Amino acid sequence: MSLIRVDNMVKHFPVRGGVLNRIVGKVHAVNGVSFRIDEGEVLGVVGESGCGKSTLGKLIIRLIESTSGEVHYDGTEITHLGHNDMLPFRRRMQIVFQDPYSSLNPRLTVNALLKEAIVFHSIVPPSEVESHIDKLMAKVGLRPDQKNRFPHEFSGGQRQRIGIARALALNPDFIVADEPVSALDVSIQAQVLNLMMDLKDELGLTLLFISHDLKVIEHFCDRVLVMYLGYVVEEMNCLDIHGEARHPYTQALLGANPVNDPDEDRELTVLEGDVPSPFSPPKGCPFVTRCPLVESRCHEEMPPLVEKTKGHRVACWAVE
Amino acid sequence: MWTYVVRRLLYNVPVYLGIIALMMAMLRVRNPVMMFLGKSATEEQIADLTERIGLARPFFFQYLEFLGQVFTLNFSQESWQQPGKTVGDLLSDAIVPTLWITVPSLIITAGIAIAVGLVSAFFRGRALDKSLVLVATLGMCISYLVYIIFGQYFGAYKLNDALAGEGPFDGKLFAIESWEPGFPGNWIHFCLLPVIINVVVAMGYDTRFYRAVMVEESTRDYITTAKAKGASKRKVMFVHMLKNAMIPIITRVMTTLPFLFVGSVLLESYFNIPGMGRELLTAINELDFPVTQTFTAVFAALFIVTNVLTDVLYALVDPRVRLS
Amino acid sequence: MILKALRSRGARKFRQNRLAMFALGVISVYGVVALLVALGGIRLEETFERVSRNSIPGAWGSQTSEKRVNDAEEYLEEIESALDNEEHLEYRFAERKLVDLPVEELVERVEESWEIWDELADVSNVDEHPELLVKLDEVEERIDALFAPLEGVDGWMYAFRTYLGTDRQGRSITVRAVYSIKLAIQVGFIVALAATLLGTLLGAAAGFFGGWIDGLVIWLYSTFSAIPVLIMLMVLVTIFIDTPYEGTLVPLYVSMMLTFWIGPCRVIRGEVLKLKELEYVQAATSIGFGRFYILVKHLIPNTSHLMFINFSLLFIGAIKNEVILTFLNLGVKNQPSWGTMINQSRQEVINGFFWQIGAATALMFGLVWAFNIVSDALQDSFDPKHVS
Repeated sequence: MSLIRVDNMVKHFPVRGGVLNRIVGKVHAVNGVSFRIDEGEVLGVVGESGCGKSTLGKLIIRLIESTSGEVHYDGTEITHLGHNDMLPFRRRMQIVFQDPYSSLNPRLTVNALLKEAIVFHSIVPPSEVESHIDKLMAKVGLRPDQKNRFPHEFSGGQRQRIGIARALALNPDFIVADEPVSALDVSIQAQVLNLMMDLKDELGLTLLFISHDLKVIEHFCDRVLVMYLGYVVEEMNCLDIHGEARHPYTQALLGANPVNDPDEDRELTVLEGDVPSPFSPPKGCPFVTRCPLVESRCHEEMPPLVEKTKGHRVACWAVE
Repeated sequence: MWTYVVRRLLYNVPVYLGIIALMMAMLRVRNPVMMFLGKSATEEQIADLTERIGLARPFFFQYLEFLGQVFTLNFSQESWQQPGKTVGDLLSDAIVPTLWITVPSLIITAGIAIAVGLVSAFFRGRALDKSLVLVATLGMCISYLVYIIFGQYFGAYKLNDALAGEGPFDGKLFAIESWEPGFPGNWIHFCLLPVIINVVVAMGYDTRFYRAVMVEESTRDYITTAKAKGASKRKVMFVHMLKNAMIPIITRVMTTLPFLFVGSVLLESYFNIPGMGRELLTAINELDFPVTQTFTAVFAALFIVTNVLTDVLYALVDPRVRLS
Repeated sequence: MILKALRSRGARKFRQNRLAMFALGVISVYGVVALLVALGGIRLEETFERVSRNSIPGAWGSQTSEKRVNDAEEYLEEIESALDNEEHLEYRFAERKLVDLPVEELVERVEESWEIWDELADVSNVDEHPELLVKLDEVEERIDALFAPLEGVDGWMYAFRTYLGTDRQGRSITVRAVYSIKLAIQVGFIVALAATLLGTLLGAAAGFFGGWIDGLVIWLYSTFSAIPVLIMLMVLVTIFIDTPYEGTLVPLYVSMMLTFWIGPCRVIRGEVLKLKELEYVQAATSIGFGRFYILVKHLIPNTSHLMFINFSLLFIGAIKNEVILTFLNLGVKNQPSWGTMINQSRQEVINGFFWQIGAATALMFGLVWAFNIVSDALQDSFDPKHVS
C-alpha cells in the first residue's frame, strides 16, 4: 500500500473585483490531480511557474485547504481531520521551503526554533532535547556550537540546511521539498542536493521533490509528474525519460536543457505561443495554445491521464 | 476608473454613518440637558429642554432624524448658549473666517514644503539637506502654543511698537486679535499672522515627509536611466521625480486637513477670530449641545468629503488606477 | 522578547548610532528625574509655594527699576505687618526666614529702610537719577539683611528654587518645571503604552485572522480617525465634567488612549498582513502550532520594532496634546504641567517676561527631541526601506 494517495485534488483560488468586491472568478491552480507515492520513493514534480506544483505540495500536507479531493496518508484519510487529530500526521509530514531568507523566523535562534518543534511533539524527553538538536545540526552538516546564532548570521546554503534540520527534527516519514535549491548558487545546490540524498538513504524518507529544473529531477527522483496549468500531463519513471517521454510538453522541457556540445545535432521542440491564463483556462487541453501536435479534438476535450505502459501515464490525444 | 470611484463612495458612506453614531453616543454618555442646566435646574426646565431637543426619544430615532437634518443641510436647531441664533446662523458666520485662514495655509504650506522637500532630496546628504532636516526636526519639538505666543508677541506687539503709528490701522501691521472680512487689507491685518504661524508649524513635519517621498523616488532605477540618458537636473527633478511623487504628495496634502483644524481651533481661540474652531470650542466648554453635535458632524463630513476627493484625485493622477 | 530583540541586527545598528544612544541617555535622565520627583523629591505642595516676589527673573536676568521699587515696598509692608501681628516667626519664603533678632531691632531696621525707600517713592524714572539707583541698591541690601543668611543645603535648595525665577504668583519656576517632568513622563508613558498595546492587539488580530474581525477593526479605525483627533479629545474630556475625575489626568488618559490606538493598529495590521505570507509562518503551521500561538509567539514579536517606534511617537503626541488640551481648559487643573506653565505665561510674555515659557519649552523640547531622534533611529535601523 502506498504511503501517500492523492485522489482528485482540486484547488481554486477566488478572485475578487468589481464594485462590491464580490468574487468575479477563480484561479484554477490545481485541477483534479491523482497519484500515489510509495514508501521510500522520491517523486518529482516538474513544470513552469504557475503550473500548480507548489500548491500541490502544500495541499498534500494541508498547509492549504483543498477545494475538493482527498489525501490518504498511510491508509488514513487526512483531508478532513480536525486540528488535534491532524497533529500526529503533521509530525510525520514535513516541508522544506524554497526561500532561505524568509523560511526562518529572524527572531529565533536555531536552537529555539528546533527546540520549539521538538518539545511541542515531545520527540525526546526534556533532558535529551539539547543533544538531539546537536545531532540534528551535525546531520545537516552544521556545527552544533552555532545553534545559538540567529538566521541572519548564516549564509543562504547554511540556512537551507537549517530548514532541512527543522524538517527532520520531528522524525518524519515524508518530506515535501518545495524547490529547495532553486534560490541557491549552483555550487551550493550540488552540496545541498547531495546532503538530501544521503539523508534520504540514511533515514529511509519518502520525498515529494518539486522543481522547475528537469535536470535536477532526473538526477534525484525515481519518478516524475509533469504538470501544466494545474493538470498532470505525464507521469513516468526518471530513468527512461529521455527515450520514452511521450507528451509534447515533456519533450519540449527535455529539449530546453542546454547540452555541453554545441555541435551536437538535436531535434528541438521549440514552443511558440503564450501560456494561457489560469484564470480563464481554455476549453479542452490547456496546452493547445503552444502544442506542435494540436488537433481539433484537443480544443474540445481535456485528454484523460491514461496508462500507456506500466507506470507510465500520459494525457494527450496525439499519443495513441 | 469609475468603478473605483463608486467603490470609494460606497465605502465611505457607512464610515460616515458610523462616525455620526459614535459621536452622538459620546455626547449622550452624560445627560446633556443636566450638564447644561446645572444643579440648580428645576424639574420644569429639565423637562422642557429635553422635550425641545428630543432627547427622551429612543436613540435610533434621534439618530435617523439627525442624519436627515445633516443630509438635507437643515441646521435650524437653536443654540442653547445663544438663544435666538440657530446653528445654521453660527455655522455660516463662522465658516468664512475659518476658510480665510485654512485655505491659504494649506496652499502656502504645500507649496513651500514641496519645494523645500524637493531641494532637500536633491542635495541629499550635503550640507544644505542636513541643515534643513535639522531645522525641521528642531522645529517639530516645540509646542504649537509656543509658536503662537511668540508669534503674537513679535509679530503683533513688538512689530507694532517698531512701526509706531503710521499709516492704516494706526501703523499696526498685524492685529493682536479679532477679525473683519475683506481682502487684501483686512486679510493681511487679521489673518496673515495666524497663517504664517500655521505655515511655520506645519513646515517641520511636511518638509521631512516630502523629502522622504522624493528621496525614495530618486533611488528608483528610472531616475538613473534618465540621468544616464543625459536629462538635465531640472528635468529630472520636475518632470520625473515630482510627477511620480504626486500620489503620496496628494495623499499627504489631503491628510493634513485635520491638522489644519487643530491649528484653526488654537489660532482662532488665541487671536479671538470668530471661526468654526473657536465656535466649537466655546460650544464644548459651555456644554452647548446642539452646536457641538452639528459642528462635529460638519467637520466629520468635511473629512469624509476630503477622503473621497483624495481617492478621485488618485484615480486621475495614477494611470494604474485610471486604466483599470 | 525584549532581550531577544536587543541582539538582532537592527538593535546592533541602533547601538552604533551615537546620536540615538545619546538621546536614549537623555530620556533616561528625564526618567530618573521623574522617578525621584514621584518618590517625594518634590512634593505637590512645594509647587504652589511662594519662594519670592512675583515675576522675578532667573539668575542671569534683570529687572526694571520700577519693579524693584515695587518689590521693595511689598517686602517692607509685609514684614512690618508680620512684626505687628507677631507672625514674624512664620514669615518665610521656603528656606528663607527672617533673621534671628529681637523684634524691636527688626522694627527699627524696617523703619530705617522705609526712610530710604520714601525717597524713591514718587519718582517716575529712577534710572535717570544715578544717586537714586544707589539708594535703591541700599534698600535692597537692607531688606536682604532682614533675612537670615542661608547656609549649606538650605542655600543650595533656595538657589535651585530661584534659579529660573518665579511666576506671577511668586512660585518657583524651576520647581514647577521639574515637577512637570514627572507629569509628562507619567502621561506619556501610560498613554503610549496603553495605546500601543491596544492598537497592536487589534491590528495583529485583524491582519492575521481576517474575515469579520478584520472588517470590524477596519471599520472601527476608519470611523475613529474620521473625526479630527482634537475634537475627539475635547468631546471625550467633557464626558468627565462634574465627576471627581475632572481636571485630573484620568480624562487625558482615557481620551488619548481611545484616539491614539489607531496609529499602531494600522501599522501592525499592515505588517502582519505582510508577514503572515512568509514561509516561516507556514512552517509553524506545518509543525502543527495553533493559530493563536503563531500570532502571539511568531508574528507579534516580529513586529516589535514597529511597536517601539509607535511607542515613541505616541509618547511625543501625548505630551504635546496635553499642552494643547490644557490651553483649551480641558487638561490638567490640579497639578503643574508644561501645559499649565505655557498657558499661564501668556500674560507674562506680553510684558517681556520669558522665564516661565522658556523653562517649560526648553524642558519639553529636550524630551520631545530625544524621542524624535530615537524613533528616527529605530526606523533607520529596523526598516530596510526607510529613508534617512
